[in-house]
Amino acid sequence: MKILIVEDEQGLRENMLTYLSEDNNICESSATLADAVAKLASYNYDFVLLDIGLPDGEGFELLNYLKNEMRGEAVIIISARNSLDDRIKGLNIGADDYLVKPFHLAELKARIVAVFRRKATSSNNNLIFNEIVINLIGRTVFINDVEIILTRKEYDMLLYFIANKGKVIAKTALAEHLWGDEMDMHDNFDFIYSHIKNLRKKILDVTTNDYLKSIYGIGYKFTDR
Amino acid sequence: MKLAAHYNKVNIVVTLSVLLIGAVIYFFAIDKIINNRLDEELGEEVSEVITYVHQNQLLPKQFDIDENQVEFIKTNALNSSPRYFDTTYVNPRKSGDKSGRAFEGGIKFKGDNYRIRIIKSSESTVYLKQIITAITLVLILALLTILSLTNRYILNDLWKPFFGLLAHMKAFNISESSSFILTNNKVDEFADLDNAIAEMSSRVKTDFQNLKQFTENASHEMLTPLAVITSKLDTLIQDETLKKEHFDQIQDIYGAAGKLSRLNQSLLLLVKIENNLIADNDNLDLNQLINDKIRQFQELSASKEIRIYAELGSKEVMVSKHLMDILLNNLLSNAIRHNQSKGSINIYLTNDKLTIQNLGLTVPLNSNSIFDRFQKGSTSEGAGLGLTIVKNICNVYDWDMKYSFVNNLHTFSIVF
Repeated sequence: MKILIVEDEQGLRENMLTYLSEDNNICESSATLADAVAKLASYNYDFVLLDIGLPDGEGFELLNYLKNEMRGEAVIIISARNSLDDRIKGLNIGADDYLVKPFHLAELKARIVAVFRRKATSSNNNLIFNEIVINLIGRTVFINDVEIILTRKEYDMLLYFIANKGKVIAKTALAEHLWGDEMDMHDNFDFIYSHIKNLRKKILDVTTNDYLKSIYGIGYKFTDR
Repeated sequence: MKLAAHYNKVNIVVTLSVLLIGAVIYFFAIDKIINNRLDEELGEEVSEVITYVHQNQLLPKQFDIDENQVEFIKTNALNSSPRYFDTTYVNPRKSGDKSGRAFEGGIKFKGDNYRIRIIKSSESTVYLKQIITAITLVLILALLTILSLTNRYILNDLWKPFFGLLAHMKAFNISESSSFILTNNKVDEFADLDNAIAEMSSRVKTDFQNLKQFTENASHEMLTPLAVITSKLDTLIQDETLKKEHFDQIQDIYGAAGKLSRLNQSLLLLVKIENNLIADNDNLDLNQLINDKIRQFQELSASKEIRIYAELGSKEVMVSKHLMDILLNNLLSNAIRHNQSKGSINIYLTNDKLTIQNLGLTVPLNSNSIFDRFQKGSTSEGAGLGLTIVKNICNVYDWDMKYSFVNNLHTFSIVF
């Protein structure tokens, strides 16, 4: 995947770049609107991660540019503004998702994967990770051709892990993904632990590969290495 | 006491006392003048009598001269000094004694001393005095009545602009963007007041707007650094050389960053609610919404083995789904978080009231301050904005939010 990151905050831009530059992804970045437009004029991308508040204008202008040029880039807006108006405006002009700062990089990655999957026109609705096959439409999971029954939270968690495979995911990121910040789970991670335990048990029932690893109490890693 | 009443009180007391003192002085002056006049007449009478006596060398018969009674009494006393005094006048033709004025003096006649006394009826002058007194009293009363009536009307009329201004000020809402309407007064003082208030209100509003703008901007500006912190941490934990101690530290930073970002979101939400910026009102079925929430919180409540008892009638409200979600989230998560393990929550919904009760601390919370910003229980992990947000959402829809502590149950009720 070719991803263009448009973000003026250097620290954030670099971290997004590092985090996303794996899995054969090619990432480029712009700190200004003008630079982003210049890049988009010369190259095609699969994805644009777009900050709204840029030093030389609003990110919406770039969205309009893409719309007018009838470009196929998927766009995820990354904004500090959590207003319904901005969200609606962005989605109306053609953004595919809207992510409010601050966010976890794992969440960003999961959103990118989700948007990419949604946009992919291939008839293949199966997400495959080694022996795990997930049917995204039927929301069913097969391991070694044996169906395992997951709860909604376990299913969401599995998708999240696979989108961020090989990465350490912080518990807080997982909690926010599963419950949203409105639930206000605060520092209560017992739920995550029990969900992880259940998911892991269900996977281990049908395969000997233990993909889910606990990392020193900070979080979890889903990896086949 | 009203200003008009104050004014009237002073006014009436002063007017009444001045008028009464005046009337008394007036009365005595009239009395004096009338007496003087009578005495003058009596003096003339006396000189007539004396002239008669000298000319005719005999005492006049005791007849009534001009209805005056004249008496000569022989006396041994030497010339007594002449004096005027009030006495009674006996009218021979009419029964009863009337008031009269008398002169008494001595006269020498044929070597004898006589005392001469002339009594003159003062009935007509008494009558005059009565009439004057009556007229004066009536005038005083009429004056007082007219004064108080005109005062009332004039005052009311004069103060009308003041009451207009007062109504304006009472209706003043700091968060409303409309400016203060001048009432265009012709009275200088009120025009001044009007201008002063208009100026003050616009200054206050500008300050308030600036403050809100500041809060909003500050919160926004904090979000990007927070995003940097979060993303740096997300990157840092990928490092496989880190040890357990490092991860513990990082976990704490995560916690603090999360807290800060929630606090920020709460502040921004408060600003939005206070500015009435959320207006996506929908017709919502509260019954359904609450049932959904209970299901959503089931995991959380089950972990503390909290029993949720719900008795929900049907109720539809015209509100923003977003705000209603936040309101129920805050109330329910509070009810669960501050509950005892194996405690209970009761939820009642009727057509005019939503009540959420929960067990918890056995002492009541301070009902005066729990809705204030940054007020939180000693064991609370939150920022202390949850109930403030709930209260403000209620204010948006003119609902009444109350807290009470009944039978060891912390009770939050919203009266629609």
